[in-house]
Amino acid sequence: MKKKIVNKLYVPISVLLACMIALLVSVTCQAKSAEQSEEIDLNIMMSFPQYMDQWQKYCSQFEKKMAEEGLNVKVNLEMPSSDQYDSVLQTRLSGDDAPDLFTIQRNNIDVYYKAGYLADLSDQELAGKIFDNVKKTVTIDGKLVAVPIESTAWGVLYNKDIFDKCGLQVPNTLDELKNVCKVLKENGYTPFLLAFQEQWVPQLMTALTIGGLVSCEKTDWLEKMYKDEETYATISEIFDPIDVILANGTDRAMEEGSESGSADFANGKAAMYVQGTWAAQTIMGTNPNMNMGVFALPINNNEKCAQVNLSTSTILGVYPESKHLEIAKKFANYVLDDKDSSALFQSCSFNPIATVHKFDTSPWVKEAYQYVENGRAYQDLVLPSSVTDEQGKLLQSYYVKSITKEEIIKTLDKKFQEANKVRK
Amino acid sequence: MSKKTKENISLLIFITPALIVFLIFKLFPTFSGIFYALTDWNGFNKSFNFVGLENFLEIFSDTNFWKSIIFTIKFVLVMAIFGNLIPLFLAVAIESRPKGKGLFRTIFYMPNMISMIIGGYMWGFIFTKVLYYLADNFGMKFLDHSWIGDPNYAFFAIVIVALWGASGYVMLIYIAALKGVPVHLIEAASLDGATKIQSFFYVTLPMIRHAITICLFWILSTSFQVFDVIYSLTGGGPGRATESVAINIYEEAFRGNIRYGYATAKSTVLFLIVLMITIIQLKLTDRKDNGI
Repeated sequence: MKKKIVNKLYVPISVLLACMIALLVSVTCQAKSAEQSEEIDLNIMMSFPQYMDQWQKYCSQFEKKMAEEGLNVKVNLEMPSSDQYDSVLQTRLSGDDAPDLFTIQRNNIDVYYKAGYLADLSDQELAGKIFDNVKKTVTIDGKLVAVPIESTAWGVLYNKDIFDKCGLQVPNTLDELKNVCKVLKENGYTPFLLAFQEQWVPQLMTALTIGGLVSCEKTDWLEKMYKDEETYATISEIFDPIDVILANGTDRAMEEGSESGSADFANGKAAMYVQGTWAAQTIMGTNPNMNMGVFALPINNNEKCAQVNLSTSTILGVYPESKHLEIAKKFANYVLDDKDSSALFQSCSFNPIATVHKFDTSPWVKEAYQYVENGRAYQDLVLPSSVTDEQGKLLQSYYVKSITKEEIIKTLDKKFQEANKVRK
Repeated sequence: MSKKTKENISLLIFITPALIVFLIFKLFPTFSGIFYALTDWNGFNKSFNFVGLENFLEIFSDTNFWKSIIFTIKFVLVMAIFGNLIPLFLAVAIESRPKGKGLFRTIFYMPNMISMIIGGYMWGFIFTKVLYYLADNFGMKFLDHSWIGDPNYAFFAIVIVALWGASGYVMLIYIAALKGVPVHLIEAASLDGATKIQSFFYVTLPMIRHAITICLFWILSTSFQVFDVIYSLTGGGPGRATESVAINIYEEAFRGNIRYGYATAKSTVLFLIVLMITIIQLKLTDRKDNGI
């Protein structure tokens, strides 16, 4: 009985299968014939969904510009959320589905360059436009391998109005910082805003303290760390300012994300916030009348160690095996276009990075760059990214008091050695 | 061709599509994964070296990995107990209602229909904002804890959200099983003077034992791979306090040193552990009810 049914079903099912196969074949054929028209697809992947509109607009400007040159270019812009960006990009690169242009973090430039995923842009027009101190950060083996996009000078954000009301000056030493905290508390203000839910935010404290200390006093520390000859114990001073920040911070830091932290800071919940100027958009969006400034975080009582961090964070690379390499390079050049680039960088509140950028920056950016002009700035240190990640995790644990300073030092030493081993 | 082979061939043709999908998307990645576990590939370099069993040896001294295993086992145990008790209770409660069965079934099943990533973010809002609001404005001081920040409470937070998400699904299986319990047996038991509780434990429960096996198996294997709830709720934090094995593997593969090969070695170990537990569990339950 059963078998009969199976036999009866044979014919219709095989007909159905045949139809499906025929349909599939015809669909793929159609797709092929459509491709033969002159349209060029340019795939771009970027990691800042918050500026989707601005970049979308820029891409359509690029399409128009190409149309004037007689090229039918269609730009597909993808912006995965920054949490998943790295994993999406890595999967696409290893899966032979690489985008023609993509942004990466400056700290990973070595890894991508060594794997052969960054085309040489030295001979391009854009090379002559980038400021020298920024250009250094995207050059490897004497070759320019990426277009810098985001470059910032940053330190600690502070609320100028609160400082004025309390008659406070920007602190230059650790003692002055302690005094600032004391005065603020006496006047009923919480000194620091803490938002530690996302691990990269507490990590900013180590970025600033290690950076400041290493660039003014322990200058050979990092180099020796890479040779397994140093330890975090040498720079244990960094915990002095960190302890001051934690002791004078807002409550419930683990429940506060970076965005809501910025909003709370804008509303005056605390007077200072260890956060980069990239948070300005959220802060100004929440409170357009905010009077905000930037100062360099003091590490100890040596005034010279209080420096701002000058870093290039996001860079744009061109995939060397791109099917449309020439068009991709044209887009890279267009990012620093003489006519249109300024408007783009200004609308994303990026800082000027090339001679073509002639726009007025916000007051807090100016304040930060004053430190740079006075020689009180250092190039962001490049630590292995596993160590950077671990610093964020450990500071979270340190904040909830489930780990001691000594354990942090031990763990970071171990992580650094592990990273050194993987590098070899 | 004999009748038997003919029949077999026609059956094979029927399962071919599913088999092809299984081979390409499940079996092939499994074995190629084991191959990558023997290399130092970082996930996107064009070349890599064969390192033999080095990755597996390194796992033994990887304290973070073993900590995450212990955390996951703790999570699995709690889930195996409460992830079965609560849905079973819900199923019995709903089935014994004269009216509104459909309504309650839908309500409790609803969390299953949204992604746990979204569920995690929703609960994140509740834990970080709503509970504090209640504590500050309505005097509910017992809610005033750091639900995400304190390692102990963070564990409870994760369990609560995971139970919220899984209960509906398990409940449906139990409801289906309860419907299959013959009414005449329960009636006979009550005629013999059994109380409701007695008839539940001595008639209903043995009759739905197969459902308990299915649910236990499902909860065990999904809890061992828990990722989305933790990822969206605590991100494994504070520090590494709530890091599950899956999170640990993900971080190894896509963050930090990006060691894809080493991460696959870790997932091979996870696979072996889950396989062992499954075999033990099937053996144990098999004795009672001849398999699923």
